[in-house]
Amino acid sequence: MVHTLSLNKTLTGLIIVAMMSPAQWLEYPTPGVPRLPDGKPNLTAPAPKTADGKPDLSGIWTTKVGYTGNIARDLKPGELSFTPWASELYKHRQETLSKDDPQGACVLSGVPREHVVPYPFKILNTSGMIVILYEALHSYRQIFMDGRKLPKDPNPTWMGYSVGHWDGDTLVVESSGFVDNNWLDNGGHPGTEAMKLTERFRRRDYGHIDLQFTINDPKAYTKPWTVNLEFTATPDTELIEYVCDENEKDLKHLVGK
Amino acid sequence: MIRSFCVICATVIALSVPAAGQWLKYKTPGIPRTVDGSPNLKAPAPKTPDGKPDLSGIWRGDPGGYAVNMAADLKPSEIQPWAEKLYKQRLEDLGKDSPSYRCMPQIGPYTSFGMFKILQTPAVIGVLSEGGVYRQVLTDGRPLPEDPNPTWMGYSVGHWDEDTLVVENAGFNDQTWLDAGHPHSEELRVTEQFRRKDFGRMDLKMTFSDPKIYSRPFSIDVELELVPDTELLEYVCNENEKDVKHFLITEEDRKQNRSSGVKVASEILVRYAGIYEMLNPEDPKGKPISIWILMEGDQLLTQMNGAGPKIPLVAQSNTTFTVLGGTAQFVTDDHGAVTHFVMQAVEGDFKIMRKGDLPK
Repeated sequence: MVHTLSLNKTLTGLIIVAMMSPAQWLEYPTPGVPRLPDGKPNLTAPAPKTADGKPDLSGIWTTKVGYTGNIARDLKPGELSFTPWASELYKHRQETLSKDDPQGACVLSGVPREHVVPYPFKILNTSGMIVILYEALHSYRQIFMDGRKLPKDPNPTWMGYSVGHWDGDTLVVESSGFVDNNWLDNGGHPGTEAMKLTERFRRRDYGHIDLQFTINDPKAYTKPWTVNLEFTATPDTELIEYVCDENEKDLKHLVGK
Repeated sequence: MIRSFCVICATVIALSVPAAGQWLKYKTPGIPRTVDGSPNLKAPAPKTPDGKPDLSGIWRGDPGGYAVNMAADLKPSEIQPWAEKLYKQRLEDLGKDSPSYRCMPQIGPYTSFGMFKILQTPAVIGVLSEGGVYRQVLTDGRPLPEDPNPTWMGYSVGHWDEDTLVVENAGFNDQTWLDAGHPHSEELRVTEQFRRKDFGRMDLKMTFSDPKIYSRPFSIDVELELVPDTELLEYVCNENEKDVKHFLITEEDRKQNRSSGVKVASEILVRYAGIYEMLNPEDPKGKPISIWILMEGDQLLTQMNGAGPKIPLVAQSNTTFTVLGGTAQFVTDDHGAVTHFVMQAVEGDFKIMRKGDLPK
């Protein structure tokens, strides 16, 4: 069962952290972080800006917990409406305990699922692009800020193609070009090649990013739906190397029921 | 050699499928161009606002024959006998136990082999590998950790020595292979020196130090080329994985890889010696790949670009030889002159044309 798998991995992560913390960079104080008199990071300090006056989203972040199994858990009844095909597929994935989850076989989590997995990630802001380094499965995602348009007929990928622009202080990212067998969460909400994703990132202060994203996938859902999440800054630590396949012994046990 | 071939071939296949729908032809903004619009790779290297060279961009590096033997410049006596024995064993086994064939990462510095993107920010230099993984070089002034938890890719810190970025690496596990089979220990340290000479070229020196196995440090030099107007592709190593179960080697295969017992007359062998060329499948308009076929005693050897490691060819017949799991078949014209050889690999056949004799 994949839910258990993720939980196991979280536990493994905790154990590793506990074992190696003194020797690691996990307690190295991040330079340049605003601090309180006691030395702790001041997470309510103002959001930093880049040289061109835009908010700087750089840093290590952790998502709000609780959405790994169900990305749509906050939606009210009727807000998420499956097409008949997707409804059957979701039911099947639930009934078979997510045994076919590609993440169980160490294939990328993909986007937007990366927003609900319980591993930290690092945002790098460079000229022309914003890059997210994910601890989960040691993967990365590129968001092009150089003004290019989304490709018209892209080769489908797990991470999709993303272009961003600024709407005031909000980073707006448009993405498409996703694979057809996408899983949006461990529970198996489907995503298809028809999916268009719009994400709005707003760093409201030093310690917090509000993320709102809208899924528009007419093949799987009869209307767009929107999720609100929050990322918390995670300074004075580092990403840990995550090698999904190492000593892999789980897959053969993922048989559903 | 087969390793380089496989990497090249896999990339060719990947490139040929999605080209039309991709960002692969999008012109990289902000790069200097000549009057005809092509990138001016001889323009000066760019700088960041703090005056340091800016290494950002998509680059490609190829260690050539060193991909098979990073320790080629060491004498056998400078390598622990058990390590040299293990290397030979792994060659005979065609690398069947290689962790990278099981989608394990290689050491961080090896992201420079193949296509990769450098993202330079003040406190961290991010490196995105087309292999799907990333690497961080922390430049915020911290030292290397003293007793790190061993990792596949290691820990990297960088500092500037004038215009050269010096990256120190440590904290590796002892599982990865340095090449087609040389082992390393957890004591391995790697130092990289990156110097961007102009817009399109960067010199990289990589120095390995692992006194538990190698009695002195050894280095390789690689010239990295900027690859403008394209993008990295998504590569998911284990998607639809069906290969590993086929990585089997029998005792017969081992024997074959070591020596077939076939003896070819020297007067035949000597006709095969020469300089051969093939188009670079990643860059058909660029510099061709030069492959030298040498003769030492009664043994044919192959060498990339006439430098670095020499890999023996094992005779299977008067015209056919195996080299690291691939097969090279020499072809002659009606007059008996050697015109080319065909390199057969899993991905297909490559025709490698004879260009001339070896220098005297």
